[in-house]
Amino acid sequence: MLRLWPLRQVVSSAGARFIPACQKSTAPEPAPELVEVFVNDKQVFVEPGTTVLQACAVAGIEIPRFCYHERLSIAGNCRMCLVEVERSAKPIASCAMPVMKGMKVKTDSPVTKKAREGVMEFLLMNHPLDCPICDQGGECDLQDQSMNFGSDKSRFTDIAFTGKRAVEDKNVGPLVKTIMTRCIHCTRCIRFASEVAGVEDLGTTGRGNEMQVGTYVEKMLQSELSGNVIDLCPVGALTSKPYAFTARPWETRKIESIDVMDALGSNIVVSMRTNEVMRVLPRVNEDINEEWISDKTRFAYDGLKRQRLTTPFLKDANGQLMQTDWESAFLAIARKLQGVEGSQMAAVAGGLVDAEALTSLKDLMNRLGCETLCTEEIFPMDGSGTDFRSNYLMNTTIAGVEEADVVLFIGTNPRFEAPVFNARVRKSWIHNDLKVAMIGAPVDLTYEYEHLGETVDVIEKLAGGNHPFCKVLESAKRPMVVMGSSCLQRSDGSALHFMVSTLANRVKAASGADAEWRVLNVLHRVASQVAALDLGYSAGVSGVREAKPQMLFLLGADEGAITRSDLADGAFVVYQGHHGDQGAQMADVILPGAAYTEKDATYVNTEGRAQLTRQAVTPPGMARNDWKVLRALSELLGVTLPYDKLQEVRQRMAEISPTLVRVGEIEEANFFKQAIEATKAGKTSLGKEPLVPPQQVLKDFYMTDSITRASPTMAKCVQAATEAESSVH
Amino acid sequence: MMFSSVGRSLLTVARQQVRSLHRTTPACSDKLFVHRDSPENNPDTPFKFTPQNLKTCDVIIKNYPEGHEAAAVIPILDLAQRQHGWLPISAMHAVADLLKMPRMRVYEVATFYTMFNREPVGKYFVQICTTTPCMLGGVGSDVILDAIKENLGIGCGQTTGDGQFTLLEVECLGACVNAPMVQINDDYFEDLTVNDMHKILNDIKAGKKPKPGPQSGQDHRFACEPKGGLTSLNTPPTGPGFACRADL
Amino acid sequence: MAATLTSRLFGQISSSVRNGIRRSYAAASGGTMTTQPGEEDKVTTITVEDKMDITPLTGVPEEHIKTRLVRICVPARNAMQSGTYGTRRWKIEFDVRERWENPLMGWISTGDPLSNTEVTFSSKDDAMAFCEKNGWEFFVEEPKKTSFKKKSYGDNFSWDKRTRRSTK
Repeated sequence: MLRLWPLRQVVSSAGARFIPACQKSTAPEPAPELVEVFVNDKQVFVEPGTTVLQACAVAGIEIPRFCYHERLSIAGNCRMCLVEVERSAKPIASCAMPVMKGMKVKTDSPVTKKAREGVMEFLLMNHPLDCPICDQGGECDLQDQSMNFGSDKSRFTDIAFTGKRAVEDKNVGPLVKTIMTRCIHCTRCIRFASEVAGVEDLGTTGRGNEMQVGTYVEKMLQSELSGNVIDLCPVGALTSKPYAFTARPWETRKIESIDVMDALGSNIVVSMRTNEVMRVLPRVNEDINEEWISDKTRFAYDGLKRQRLTTPFLKDANGQLMQTDWESAFLAIARKLQGVEGSQMAAVAGGLVDAEALTSLKDLMNRLGCETLCTEEIFPMDGSGTDFRSNYLMNTTIAGVEEADVVLFIGTNPRFEAPVFNARVRKSWIHNDLKVAMIGAPVDLTYEYEHLGETVDVIEKLAGGNHPFCKVLESAKRPMVVMGSSCLQRSDGSALHFMVSTLANRVKAASGADAEWRVLNVLHRVASQVAALDLGYSAGVSGVREAKPQMLFLLGADEGAITRSDLADGAFVVYQGHHGDQGAQMADVILPGAAYTEKDATYVNTEGRAQLTRQAVTPPGMARNDWKVLRALSELLGVTLPYDKLQEVRQRMAEISPTLVRVGEIEEANFFKQAIEATKAGKTSLGKEPLVPPQQVLKDFYMTDSITRASPTMAKCVQAATEAESSVH
Repeated sequence: MMFSSVGRSLLTVARQQVRSLHRTTPACSDKLFVHRDSPENNPDTPFKFTPQNLKTCDVIIKNYPEGHEAAAVIPILDLAQRQHGWLPISAMHAVADLLKMPRMRVYEVATFYTMFNREPVGKYFVQICTTTPCMLGGVGSDVILDAIKENLGIGCGQTTGDGQFTLLEVECLGACVNAPMVQINDDYFEDLTVNDMHKILNDIKAGKKPKPGPQSGQDHRFACEPKGGLTSLNTPPTGPGFACRADL
Repeated sequence: MAATLTSRLFGQISSSVRNGIRRSYAAASGGTMTTQPGEEDKVTTITVEDKMDITPLTGVPEEHIKTRLVRICVPARNAMQSGTYGTRRWKIEFDVRERWENPLMGWISTGDPLSNTEVTFSSKDDAMAFCEKNGWEFFVEEPKKTSFKKKSYGDNFSWDKRTRRSTK
């Protein structure tokens, strides 16, 4: 048994007997003796328990494989990774075989080559020759490996056209297209669904020649991560439905970018052809998304082609928005702004805005004398509020959950608010025996958790130490408290934040976690929030409501937080953004901006990690990069912003907050004590209503912002998920 | 003439060089490995374990460690099939709920094993072995199969109109010594002749319970002993000390 | 702008003339080099202290020197495949200029001569040096490191209910 005995299993999961799990981890582990292995006569030293395949990778040799995947359990069923090992009677499956002392692996010997050719011949025997019409063509593992390792001939003759196996296609929803005849039974999709996504809907039915991968009953693959099976599939059996027959991989440009559909900032690769985003794929980043992305990230790109604002609009005398040019739009704004006091202005930033645009908008409004700059997403501003970064960041970091031993979710549904993070929690739950508890509406998180209650009084009890679960939290070595930003939208948000901070500090003090371990975490929902708070925007639009401004600038604010009734009569509303959504509907002037695939921009994720998107396509029509629009507008308003180049804007961002330009890094924030002291308890009292996250079931997940609302694919998903709810299977 | 012989030899050579690994059409299962809702087999098909069977389930589940209830899936699926006669998808769901395992994992097991009948079968499930030893042994399975077809008026894979009998041609059932044989529900009927087969089926139709085991094919032998009497183990066993030195 | 460029170029050229072509080549390739002026056998080493700058010689318009931002990175592995070919060398990527659909075939055109420039390097430093001498501003994106996880086939049959797999 190579796996170490799980620490907390010793302690038992019964809960009552939860004794500190620190006994084992504090003791210095003896350095494992390395095992000497020879790969093609090259000596490498690897840890005992490493597989032969991994040892070969250490030696710089890639073993061909289909079923083996680094992030899934080992299946060992494709046999493509067979290698010869000296003094072994038969070739061995290197993915499943642990290394042994002095093992001599030969990855290029005649035996190995023959084994590979044999496996490839068998695989191709039942694989259709439809590469020209297959969407995987050009990026197919089977195609490439048969070229590299296969034989030039086959003994399979099918003169009567009766022998090839054919399997009926499955319908697993609007995202994944299945052509099951192409399946080579690697079971990667099954393992992904059951291990990572936590949806045990895929499996193998039948046996022998009749075995097939599928769902047995006709059923949608109800997972927010289902698109990843497309990447995992080494052949063309599972391909993307929206991408079907649209592009070939060699035609597209691949632009490495960042996702903005949630606050995690998953790393993505945008495939572009003919100025159109063809698809979105994940990019490995161990700190954030590992190798997965959510379906919203992957499939919402068709929303970027619809409902777009392509020209400036100006309301004419009849109150109709009419297309116009940039100059007239700017002039109209300048004319309107004459005589409007700075205090009579306000600006609201939405959830998809980049840090450059936020900086420009803030500088512009400040120069006009306006200090009312808000975000649509609310975050408590009372007390220390957003003064300390640690108050609003996911301080433990996303990868930190793998070190944690207890996680307490408060008022959030991470499965839909941050699907990739939830997959990480699930991974930790599986491999590290992470204990999860939850306060809020009970939702399916794909793993077991202890439901402590729905209302805030549970938090009060926990913070006061009069709850049975306190024992678990206190005995934890590395506890985490994760508060969803969605629950802070309530009127008692600040009291709630204070209560949770108190709880986190108490847990930290009691648990004896080391000084560097940070307990309090805020899981944001929108991509722009952290950057906005870093830049000094005030969270929530209450300031606008109080000010009743004459002039309102909406920067991608589409959630309808502000309506006309919140403004002074006849107020002038400027909307700048990329989609004709709620914000644009109430505007007098519309300035078309660029979406996240159309600009080089900075986004800060919920951990406080600044990351850069890259421009993949040109903004449609007359739309322009947001900070450039604001820069141009500032010139007409007579308050020219002092930057002309992207680098200069970033310099300005660095002046405001250096964290915004430290790309890919996390600046640790650790001012929890000070934050608590600076906050006075309960200006508002805690409400009695239960904590209900807005996204509870799968159909709530797909449409959450202006891009996804414009996406036909997401609409199909909502429809399919709604139908699946009433399905008998 | 010389040319023709050269041509012939060339042809022979050419023929020898062409080898093929795969010539025959692979035998495909006549079962479907996906579920399609039908009037008799759908998630709403009534199925509930009887209280008696639930007790049996408990006993079976207790054979396995706590938290590993899923290990009991095969015996419990079998129990469900015995209770219902065949295994509708609703029974699989009941088993999944009982064992707290995902439904797909139950489907996998139920589709893997051919003895789980996922389609309705008759009250008497006649499985005739037609594998080589049965085909060759005794009177041969061909005539037995013909006899069944004639008696029941159905072909392989079919069920009689009254829902009493289902006939299925199967591979080896492990009773080759007593070939030919059929299995009807849990009973083996071996050493069959055409008359035996008719008699068995007629008895069943008449509501009688025919005696399982070897029939008249080899003169009603007891089990699978040789036709000409025992060829070994036919003397009384020797006592202790046999063929040993006297001083031991 | 054009005037300054011309004067810069002119100055450079005249100095090149003064110092001889060899000298300016030394400056262009940076570092040290040995020359053999005239027919003499004496070996002289000229060390050029300042950063190498070949912009006056390349003929690249100033617009494509001053305003470009280069990203130096290692291309990400294609998530659709397990192979890692193409993820070992560093490459430079320019910021994207406007592209438009060409009415002739529907493909896209661009006025940016650098948009299809693909240069790969064996190390980050080479790429940085290349950008420096071409006068481009750049930033480096370090490749994402992957962590090594020990895996075992035995986990599938582990007593631990969570890691044990029933999928096969």
